[in-house]
This record gives sequence, structure tokens and C-alpha cells, in this order.
Amino acid sequence: MISARKYVRAAIFFGLFALVTGGLLFQQMPEEAVAQDAAQDDSGSAAVQEAAPDATPATSNAASVECYESIKDATKLPKVDNVVPKYGYPNVKCSPTTGAVLWYGDPYYGTEPMGEMPKFNDKTDGDFAQAVIRPRVEHLKTLIQTNMQCSSCHPGADPATQQNDPRQLMMHQDIIADAQNLQHGRGAIWCFDCHNAANRDTLADQQGNEVSFNESQKVCGSCHGDIYSDWRMGLHGKRTGEWKVGGKKRWWTCTECHNPHTVQEHRFQPIKPEPPPALPRGMSEDDFKGADEHGGH
Amino acid sequence: MSEDKRKKDIAEGQDDGKAKESRRDFLKKLGVATAATTVAPAATAKAGSIAEALQTHFRLMSDDEKKNAIARLEKRYTEQFSKQVTVADTPAPEGVLFGYALNISKCIGCRRCVEACVRENNQSRDPAIQWIRVLRMERGNNTFELKELNEGSPSSNPLGDYGIQSGGHADKHVGLSGSTEHYYEPEQVPEDDAIYFPVQCQQCEDPACVKACPVRATFRDPNGIVVIDYNWCIGCRMCQLACPYWARRFNWGEPVLPNEDMNPKTHYLGNRPRMRGVMEKCTFCLQRVRDGRYPACVEACPVGARKFGNLLDPKSEVRKILATKKVFRFKEEFNTDPKFFYYMD
Repeated sequence: MISARKYVRAAIFFGLFALVTGGLLFQQMPEEAVAQDAAQDDSGSAAVQEAAPDATPATSNAASVECYESIKDATKLPKVDNVVPKYGYPNVKCSPTTGAVLWYGDPYYGTEPMGEMPKFNDKTDGDFAQAVIRPRVEHLKTLIQTNMQCSSCHPGADPATQQNDPRQLMMHQDIIADAQNLQHGRGAIWCFDCHNAANRDTLADQQGNEVSFNESQKVCGSCHGDIYSDWRMGLHGKRTGEWKVGGKKRWWTCTECHNPHTVQEHRFQPIKPEPPPALPRGMSEDDFKGADEHGGH
Repeated sequence: MSEDKRKKDIAEGQDDGKAKESRRDFLKKLGVATAATTVAPAATAKAGSIAEALQTHFRLMSDDEKKNAIARLEKRYTEQFSKQVTVADTPAPEGVLFGYALNISKCIGCRRCVEACVRENNQSRDPAIQWIRVLRMERGNNTFELKELNEGSPSSNPLGDYGIQSGGHADKHVGLSGSTEHYYEPEQVPEDDAIYFPVQCQQCEDPACVKACPVRATFRDPNGIVVIDYNWCIGCRMCQLACPYWARRFNWGEPVLPNEDMNPKTHYLGNRPRMRGVMEKCTFCLQRVRDGRYPACVEACPVGARKFGNLLDPKSEVRKILATKKVFRFKEEFNTDPKFFYYMD
């Protein structure tokens, strides 16, 4: 009886706590909210949900955490608890300091089959039978803060796109700061070499075939053939899932690691590193710096 | 217990017509008798049962003994961490030799592999134990200036100049990269002037640590992974001394692992929680790879610099890297024959 009362009291307490934090988060800017969420990711929110699993399910969902995979603010993944019930795993564990995904409980969370890939019938043929990818189309919807597709502002072909002449854009400065000075290809290519002028919800390869945003490799690979063949073999890029040849793997597509609009400045957008290891016991920061000046170890 | 009494005990055992009592069984009795009188119950709960202290080497256990040992551990961990913990003894898959490849031209030094490893493998958080170290080297950290070449230690000291210096700089070798460090903490990585070199257990074919272990608590499993039976380890740290790769970590203090951070999927030879006074090291995430998953560090790397697979399968990613890339092994001159390959594009 006493323990039950204790439980109820704890549930009420955590419910209030979750409501207060939820309220605070709503008042803040989205970036700050993500950072703060991530900061309490491993300890705070886990404790809330463990202590009061059925008392406050709605509020704990409201305070959900979004972590990023490779590109900060661009490859977000929501953290969901207990995705693998057998071990009580969340889909991901995130860094309390940087908000980056550190550990996958479920490497296939939010993925779908990769679909048809062209056969090359040579050694570069990848094993696509069980390949899954995480769709990028969803990300593009959230990029402009609404659930709109690109075509809701850009319906049909625009005659200006025929002129091969980049103009200063009125919008999308967050994606490309200066459209007239696109560094990808060092001025050799422009927007509609990759984006489909007829249907803005898609990309187009060199032959003008429509390609989904989910399959950027088909566009990128038409110029970067050497990287593309390495990627098909599994040598370039990232995989998660099973190590066996032919096992179920999630393949990272090109734009999940590279931003094609800024790729000449940074092949990989710099990120904040995880904290360094603790110095040996009894060693201070000054001792360490001194050692380094005298030749290091 | 006196010598006479011991003889008497053994004699009695034989007189009863029982099978001949083994030395180990006798020691067990002896241990139970002494431990029961001297060890407080609270201490035994923390350190594990007496039966656990007396169990044999994992490779010498019969199936029944393994089952009992694992049941004991599961019970203890489940109580200790207030959640259902499983300790597996999944056997090594047939026809597999695990290999690892790391692209040093891709590594950005973000240390996500380090943190992923800690979360997967139940390392102690305080004192913090990390199995992977990411070394940072300054690019262009070499000098060929004549001025620097002829100045430097040994400089004069009050006791006299006993050092022998035949030219060159004693602290900073001319033309050689000066130092590496792993405590770097920039705002952002990759830095323009640095390269990064993660080091962890290289899973040697001919491991110096295994040769050094006086009780054979550490050994190679059939897939080429060097593992430790933590219960058999006596904590002498000979293996740590023998390892040329700085890959082994010792539990100097009682490990601290918060309940909510504890990974409940464990393997006997892998990531089960360790106790004070035992050695631990990277096992390529044994508990994962024996179930078919990639190691945690491979999945955490945001740039895909880490590759893992079966060296006996010519179609595996690692074999294709060995066939097509510029590959080297760390400290090859030690002839330890690592299964960890570094490569460049």
C-alpha cells in the first residue's frame, strides 16, 4: 500500500516536471529546444519515462528528442523509446553534448526498401536485394517548416529554366547563399543540371530521367562514377545493419553525408566532436600542456 | 584446515564408496567453508556468489556448468541494474574470420565511435574507461630548417653535460612528425591542419597479450577475436604491458554504470559488466557480431570510415578494400599480424 502511494506521488511529480519542461520548450527557438532536449536525453527523459510509464505518455511524446546523423540540422532522426522491447532499446541513443546519434538500437528505423538499381554485371554490382534507405523526401518537407512539397510553389515548368542562366534567388538563401556563384563543379553546372525543371519534387539525371530525392546516387553517380562504383561495392559511404554479404543493410545515400550545394567548401560539414577522455588521475590540464611543449609523449 | 584433517576428509569421502573426489571439488568445499565464515552477505552480493568465484575457465566448462554460470550472472546483473539482463553464450559462427578496415583519409576525429563503444559495451563511466583512442596529429608538423636541426637538448644542466648529442634536435626530431595527442578539443572537426588516427584492439593473429597471460584468461576465439574470461582474470596486467597498441584497459576502481545506461543485451565473453580488478578490451562487439550485426563503432561513424566483415569471404567489404585500396597495418614490425587494417582512398 505504501509503495503504491509512493508510485502515485512519483508519477504526479514527474508528470508536472514533464509539463513544465514541455511548456518551456515551446517558448524557445527550435534549435535551442533541440540542444536542450539532447542535453537531457540520456539521463533526464529516460528517467521520466521509466518512473511514470503510463501516467504521462502524451507529455513525454511532446518532449521528444531529435538527433542528427551526419549533417547537423539536416539529417534528423526522432528518438523513440522501447523500439526493441526485448531489450528495452530506443531506436537511437544520442550524445548529451552534441545531439549526435551515437548508437543504434534499431538500425532500420524509418527506412524503406531501396528499390530498383541498375545492373552493371561486373564486380561493382552491389547487393541491393535487402538494401534499405531512409527517405529524404520527408526531410525536404520539414526543411521549409511546412508539409508542402516543392511543387506547391513551383507547379510545372518555368520558361526561365530553359535559359541556362542562373539568377539571384529571392528565397532559399539557407540552401544556397549565392545561386549565381554555385561552387559545385566550380561554375560548370547550375541548378537544373540536377533539379528537375518540369517537376520540382524530383531530381533529373544527365539523360533527363526523373529521379526521386531518395535516390540521389543516380544523379550524383552520373558524374562521380568512380565514387559511385565504390559506393555500390560498399567501400564508400556508410552502412548499418548486418555485416554479412547479402544481409539486410541500411545504405546511406549521397545527400545524407554530403550537401551538394556546399560540397566544394566542405566535403563533409564540420561538426562538434564528443568530449575528450578524462586526463589520468592526478594530472591537471596544465601538467598536460607542459608535457606537450616539451616534446609530448 | 590442518593437513591431518584434510587427509581425513578425503579418506572419509573414499570410505563412503563415492567416486574419487577431485581436487577442485575439494577446494570448492574448502572455499565455501572459509568464505561462509568470513565474508559478509552484503559483500558477496556485490562481488558475486562463491560459486561464481570458484567456477572454472569458460572454455573448460561443461554445458551444464556454462548454463549455471550464466544463470548466476543473469540473476546478479538483473538485481544489480533493476532490469532484465541477458548473458548470451552464442557460439562463434563457422567459416568466419573477422576483419576491420578504417579509412584514415575519411576520419574526422569526432569521437562518436568512442562514445558508441561506451554505450554498447557497458564500460565504467566513473572512473571512465574507453576502449578506443583517437589520436590527433598535426599536419605539416615536420621541419627541415637548419637552425632547428642544430639546436636543442641536451642543454647544459647543473650536474654537467652527460648527454651525447650528435646533431639534430633531441626533443623534436627533424623531419619527423612531433607528437600525437588524444585530448584535443576544438570547436569543430575536422580541423584543417590535423589528421586523426583511431586506435583500438587490433585483434592480432599472434597476440602478445595472449602470450603474456599467465592464467590463459585471454584467448583468441574461433573468429579471430581476442576475448577475456573476466571471471578467470587475476588482474596481473601482464597483457596490458605486452600489448603494443595500448588496447587494454584495467578496472582500477569499482566500475560505476548507471542503471538506465546499462545495455541489457550482453555476452559472457563480451560486454557483460566487469568487476574491479579485471582487464577489458575491444571485442569487435562480440555480442553483436555473433548475432550478425555490425559493431557499434561501425554504425556510429558519421562518415563511413569504418568497415567490417568476413575476411574469408572474397565478396565482403573488407576483402574488397584489401584488394583495391592502399592498406597498411599499425606497427607491422611487431609481427603480431593484426586483423585491423588502415587504408586510404
